[in-house]
Amino acid sequence: MNAIDPRIHQVLDGELAPGALSTELRRSVERLVTAVALLAAPLPLPSLEPRVMALIRRPVPSRARRLLRWLATPRSVTFRVRPVWSLAFAAVVAMLTLVPIGHEGPDIGEHEGIAQFVGRFPGAQSVHVVGSFNDWRPGSIALEDVDQDGLWRATVVLPTGAYEYMFVVDGERWVPDHLAERLVSDEFGRENSIVIVRPARR
Amino acid sequence: MRLWLGLALLAGPLAAQSARARLEGRVPGAAVPALDSLVQQAVAEGLPTEPLIQKALEGGAKQVTAPRIVAAVQLSLGQLRAARDLLIRAGDEPPVTPGEVTTVAWALRRDLPAPVVERVVAALPRPPRASAMHAVADLAAHRFDPDSAADLIIAAIGRGLVRERLLDVSAAAAHELQRGHTHAEALALVRQALPNVPASPKPTRSAVARARRPAAPPP
Repeated sequence: MNAIDPRIHQVLDGELAPGALSTELRRSVERLVTAVALLAAPLPLPSLEPRVMALIRRPVPSRARRLLRWLATPRSVTFRVRPVWSLAFAAVVAMLTLVPIGHEGPDIGEHEGIAQFVGRFPGAQSVHVVGSFNDWRPGSIALEDVDQDGLWRATVVLPTGAYEYMFVVDGERWVPDHLAERLVSDEFGRENSIVIVRPARR
Repeated sequence: MRLWLGLALLAGPLAAQSARARLEGRVPGAAVPALDSLVQQAVAEGLPTEPLIQKALEGGAKQVTAPRIVAAVQLSLGQLRAARDLLIRAGDEPPVTPGEVTTVAWALRRDLPAPVVERVVAALPRPPRASAMHAVADLAAHRFDPDSAADLIIAAIGRGLVRERLLDVSAAAAHELQRGHTHAEALALVRQALPNVPASPKPTRSAVARARRPAAPPP
């Protein structure tokens, strides 16, 4: 680092007139005065204003978006629970899970079971299951397509035993249950499906 | 004694009468006399009539012609006679019960060879027979050798498995097939595990809640 001539200090401090200096020293004084003036001036921040303006101009986020952002933002939540209440809560949950509430569905006898019939019939208007459990009477057990996805289902209480059955689609088309593992000739040129109903109370 | 004899003598004609009532309007009128005659023959021989009536109702529902319905019912009567003869051959004292005849007729309809059925009948007392037949027939349907299938089910009963669980044995063997074992390996694995075979799941609470009974037939 070059040392500054003491006379320059004196000129900058106003103790000596600039004219008393040599030409070279006078130029140095002028450069230093210019540099000081530049440092004293406030610094322009060219990038700040556009950024602020951009934020101001940005459209206000919708309520749903704000809610989503609020939901997605991690927050700490503190619960102050007495252990006795947490034990009571656990007991209630266990009771709701393990003990049947009220009376749901039909009473199922000792010699009865549940048969579930499922068939895929997209576009069908009606599907019934007909078999030796309902005297081959069409219309007594209707399947439902609750989700409108072409998958028709019925859950039926039947006496335990083995039965032959078929689906009747739209009241006229007889179709075996392709999901049934057991099939037997119906002696009329087609195949019946077989369902074995096991006791529900096993 | 007289009362029992009287009731037994009445039961046949009553069954035939109610059969006619069930068939009328459900099968072509031309078929009713012939079907009635077949049902009466079954009653006279002490055979079950319900399978015959069901076959006739099935034919009527499927709108099959009268001659074909009669032929199918005739065939069913033949199967019931064959089943009765098989039971007596296997050692059951005549008269055999209608329930046993129906069970054996079912097994024969499901293509179980008569000697296999006879062996199962001879080996097992009456209560688990129907379940055993279904389990053997299920195994045979999965292309297991029927003789070996019968051996497995008889062994399962011998190891204390109750009749309600016999279908679990056939399901377990089928499961071993799905896992890539050969038929012989699957049977051996299940036999080794007896009587511990996985139980089939009970109906779920939601299934029970959804379940409904079939609508009653119109009067």
